[in-house]
Amino acid sequence: MDRLREEKIQRFEEFVDRRLKPDLVRAIAERDKVFEQQKVFSDLRKNLENLEKNSVTSLRSMVNLGSEVYAQAEVPDTRHIFVDVGLGFHVELTWSEALSIIPAREEKLARQIEEYTRLIAQIKAQIKTVSQGIRELLQLPTE
Amino acid sequence: MGEPLKGTVTPLSSVFAPEEAQKASVRVQETISERRKQVDQLQAFLNDNNGLVNLVKKLPDQLHHDIMVPFGKAAFFPGRLIHTNEFLVLLGEGYYAERTSKQTIEILKRRGKDLESQIETLNAVIKDLKFEASFFDDTAIEAAEGIVEIREDYVDEAFNEDEPTKGEDDFARILSRIDELEKEELESEIAEEHEEEDKADLSHLISLTSLEPEGRSPEEQAKNEHLMSKISLQNHPQEDVPKPVKPKDLPARPVSKDLSSHVKVPTSSGSRLPPSLVEHNKLKERVSHTPVPKNEKVSTSASNSGNHSSRASVVAPVSKEVSDFDSSIGSDRSKAFTGSIVEHTHNIENNNQKGQMQAPASKPVSRFKMQRK
Repeated sequence: MDRLREEKIQRFEEFVDRRLKPDLVRAIAERDKVFEQQKVFSDLRKNLENLEKNSVTSLRSMVNLGSEVYAQAEVPDTRHIFVDVGLGFHVELTWSEALSIIPAREEKLARQIEEYTRLIAQIKAQIKTVSQGIRELLQLPTE
Repeated sequence: MGEPLKGTVTPLSSVFAPEEAQKASVRVQETISERRKQVDQLQAFLNDNNGLVNLVKKLPDQLHHDIMVPFGKAAFFPGRLIHTNEFLVLLGEGYYAERTSKQTIEILKRRGKDLESQIETLNAVIKDLKFEASFFDDTAIEAAEGIVEIREDYVDEAFNEDEPTKGEDDFARILSRIDELEKEELESEIAEEHEEEDKADLSHLISLTSLEPEGRSPEEQAKNEHLMSKISLQNHPQEDVPKPVKPKDLPARPVSKDLSSHVKVPTSSGSRLPPSLVEHNKLKERVSHTPVPKNEKVSTSASNSGNHSSRASVVAPVSKEVSDFDSSIGSDRSKAFTGSIVEHTHNIENNNQKGQMQAPASKPVSRFKMQRK
């Protein structure tokens, strides 16, 4: 009887350690990625708004050629901007157009994040259940 | 090898447990793969670096380049590269340097060299780890097979099984012979002075010795003999002017082509034996010092050593010289010099006559080693 119990306990623990915990870690990593991207877009939006506010027409910047070697670049006309719309496509837009699609993009990202959060919560709940079961199994013998 | 030797027998598996050896091997393999990944990463950096060097080289070709200027991570602006010869290079810790294209290329090349050296060291580390891993593997295999390690006490047997004792005797004989020869030398020095013998001859002789031992013409032989004597004279104004004499009493000697050992042993003992010429190069100096006595010595030694190594061939020239200088030197066959004396000149003559022996100017070997052989 005890043998059986011990085996069950061991199997539960293994399940937790090998399946649930890595799943949790992975889900958290994915969510972080989406967070980052969301941040990128929000930064872009802020910058664009800044540009518009200051009516900046031309721009000088440093372009990273790789290995942190920068070259000077000049943007003579900032009216047109190419925005990444996913799947490797960039769409040429004006400021106002860009400013309208970027929030839409941000919203989509937020939804993704929410989904990941739900997944993470699910995994955490599973881990809790299994631990509880193990604890019960352990408590019974001592009773 | 009379008595049973004491020893221990240990199965390898007790020293290195096979499973442990395997585990260690696995661990080392993992380390190896880690290092390999690092090497790959470094290699990737190196490739990027090279690509960058090419780019930086080409940029100044144009005044402006039309490019897409990134704006954040997800947007681009169409624009152009200006000041195409000026680059800002990160030196680390927030320090930048503004450099021209050429200077940037130099910086990048230095970085590339650094990366290469890192790769080199990593590769060396990987090699060592591989050796370790192979060692572990072998040990595991051997232990698994049940290979046993046997240790026995070292019994100092003679080198030649046949004559463990002779070695000592020979050694003593050699010593005594050497003493005698030295005495003879002194005497001959006082007696004669034939010094002019040429260095030219000497050099010629030496060159001859280094050449292949082809059969030489008798004149050459004579000359060699002459030279040989000259050599001796050179060092010690010696007694005899070597008379180029054709070897008269050349007993038929088996010439063995035992080049490996270069030991010539007179087959017959007794009379002026075919001196045993051993290791022609070995006693080159001695030759120069006392060629004459050497001959004698060699012959005597030949006789003595005749018993112990039956490999060599006789050196005709030696005997000839012996006959030449017989007058000056009392042949003391009794002072058996089981010579492992190598006389280069002898070799030459030998070569001349036999054309068989090779007189490689090998490095001098210790007497005893020669003797052993």
